[in-house]
Amino acid sequence: MVQKPATAFARPIRIRGRGISRLDEEHSWYRVLQRDVLPLLISLLGVGLVTAPLLLLDHTVATNLVPVAYLIPVIIAATQWGIGPATLASIASMAAADFFFFPPLYSFEVEDPQEVVDLLLFLVVALVSSNLASRLRKETETLRYREKEIQQLYEFSRLLAVCFTVSDLISAIQKYLSHTLGQQAVFLAAGPDGRFETPVSGAVPKAVQESVASMVATIETPTRTLVDEPTQNVWLLGPVCSETAVHGLVAVNIGSGSREAVAIKTRRVETVLEEVSLTLQRLDIEKAMEDARLHLQAQLLRDAFHGTLSHELCTPLAAIRGSASVLDSIPAICDDARASSLVEAISDEAEELDGFIQNLLNATRVTAGGVSPRLEWADPKDIVNAAVKGRDRRLAAHKVETEFAPDLPLVRVDSGLIAEAVGQLLENAAKYSPSGSTISISARAEQGRVTLSISDQGVGLTPDERQQLGRRSFRSQRHQATIPGSGLGFWIASTFVAANGGTIDVSSRGQGQGTTASIALPSSPMNPSESAAQSDD
Amino acid sequence: MTKSSNVVLLIEDEPKIRRFLRAGFEIHGFSVIEAENAAEGLKAATFSAPDLIILDLALPDLHGAEVLERLRSWSNVPVIILSVVSDEDEKVRLLQAGADDYVVKPFGMAELLARSEAALRRYFKSATENPVVTAGPLSIDLVARTVSLNKGQIRLTRKEYRLLHILATHVGLVVTHDHLLKEIWSGNQRDNIQYLRILVRKLRQKIETDPNHPRLLTTESGVGYRLQARFEESSAE
Repeated sequence: MVQKPATAFARPIRIRGRGISRLDEEHSWYRVLQRDVLPLLISLLGVGLVTAPLLLLDHTVATNLVPVAYLIPVIIAATQWGIGPATLASIASMAAADFFFFPPLYSFEVEDPQEVVDLLLFLVVALVSSNLASRLRKETETLRYREKEIQQLYEFSRLLAVCFTVSDLISAIQKYLSHTLGQQAVFLAAGPDGRFETPVSGAVPKAVQESVASMVATIETPTRTLVDEPTQNVWLLGPVCSETAVHGLVAVNIGSGSREAVAIKTRRVETVLEEVSLTLQRLDIEKAMEDARLHLQAQLLRDAFHGTLSHELCTPLAAIRGSASVLDSIPAICDDARASSLVEAISDEAEELDGFIQNLLNATRVTAGGVSPRLEWADPKDIVNAAVKGRDRRLAAHKVETEFAPDLPLVRVDSGLIAEAVGQLLENAAKYSPSGSTISISARAEQGRVTLSISDQGVGLTPDERQQLGRRSFRSQRHQATIPGSGLGFWIASTFVAANGGTIDVSSRGQGQGTTASIALPSSPMNPSESAAQSDD
Repeated sequence: MTKSSNVVLLIEDEPKIRRFLRAGFEIHGFSVIEAENAAEGLKAATFSAPDLIILDLALPDLHGAEVLERLRSWSNVPVIILSVVSDEDEKVRLLQAGADDYVVKPFGMAELLARSEAALRRYFKSATENPVVTAGPLSIDLVARTVSLNKGQIRLTRKEYRLLHILATHVGLVVTHDHLLKEIWSGNQRDNIQYLRILVRKLRQKIETDPNHPRLLTTESGVGYRLQARFEESSAE
């Protein structure tokens, strides 16, 4: 008696197992049959299986056993398939009891009102216990499901803990979502343009593709769900992001099903994404620490370089230059042409070296964290004169002509930086034009700007050279062998000018046609009038 | 103007720099005392009573600015700063703290000597008391308040004269913007450097041969102005 229901207990499981393997076949009638009809039939069979042995027993004994015996198939049906089959089993059991065991036998009629009460009582008990049993079954199932889910999440977080790069993480997400959850998942990286990568057609439905294309990759991107009309599948689009950056988007096929089932799966995917974002934050912090360490090292190196340059190189150079200048003032040397030309050569070379060191210092200053100009109203004439004076030795072989427009407005710049920029351009002009040729400097005001132009009669620029001019360390192939230089000059000049809110422009009519470099600086029309400067207030 | 036995104290930790400074000063008739750190320098300044101090900023025991501050607490001796950084803010700070002038390494001996002589001249001014300052073709009579260029008298406005007067009392030395602004505009235009630039332009038009390339009234970028003491020197530099 106990064993028979046990077989009934075992069979549906096997059937269910087989059913899952065929799920892919998508025969909906078969699914309905195996999910809905089969449990009903088996429940009825269970009632039959209880009835048969009872019929073999003595009638009186059987009648006493009936209420208890028939509860067995009812409870089994309830625990296995839920309330529906259990209710059917309850009614079938009541009918069978009435038919086989209550007089008149083999009829559904009932003689004794007492027996009517018994049957109804049985029905109530059967229904109540089947209800309780099916609820118990449901809760057990939920618990089992939860346990599995927690187990999987735990596995996932262990997977995340060993992620050291974002790409590790992405493969972990994909692996977890598509294998463990059994759901189709696609990861779409965020591009630099603030959009997500377009999914490969075929991997996701058209509706998802369109939705992804319309999304903007920001940290605030909300999780989105949408229904793919042709298949009725629900897709979830969730951003993968840390506190500071969006790394991409995960598109997960939640599948079709009741609203409740979709909600549960959605929640699961969201939990996963939360875990992922925590891991990303950890990775972000690690990366920030690494970056900071590297930055500090670079800074230390640069400071060391700066210190070495300014001390180890500048001090001997100052001694050489100073000693030469002392020699220069000794009458015995001044009177000897050969000795004084050697002294002059020492001074020139020292100045050349100093210019080179200053360039390197300026370049490290630019890369060290930008130039912070000290803005002050300055006379453009003073700036040009300072630049010419600073490069007078290097301009000695050229004729330098300056032309200032009358009433030049003042400019608000760091005059030291602009003078250095003009000096660099002058040096280039001298370097790339023949000795004895003219370098002309002009300063004029136009449309709220003051433009300082330096023109030479030198080798000029090819269009290609002109394009590459702004690059640090750019030197044209034409001159690399013949004219010495570091390629830093123009780069320093343009950085200094830009830091002062100005622009630098170089033009040439072509190779051998000379070059004109122009620095345009913002100026203010609000310069005080002469009378204001002279007034006694 | 320089006395034959002016004593110069070199406070500088680099022996190679001290070596050429000593040679340069001795050739030009100075007696030289050397100090290789701040402590020695301050001691020598107290006991040897130098007429001029050349002070390096990067000293091993104390920053030059600190040495200057201590010196200025009891002495008016002229101080010329040697610095490697061409940082205008620092120059201005040092000048305001009482330095007479500065030179930026690497520098030529002629430049340092010119500054030294200018500083000494100003220091001994009260003793010699000559009311006429000459700068190349320009002469300024501080008592009569007249200015003449190539022997011909020129007319200046009140503010132009005030500017020239201040520069003349520091002839050969740099005068900071702040100093000039404070002296010329005592009122609310004190911070307005634009007025100073315009005034300098006007004054140059009256005293310079070529106002576009001034040789008398020169600009110290980001720091101030200087009235060149010797005309030839400014053209030779």
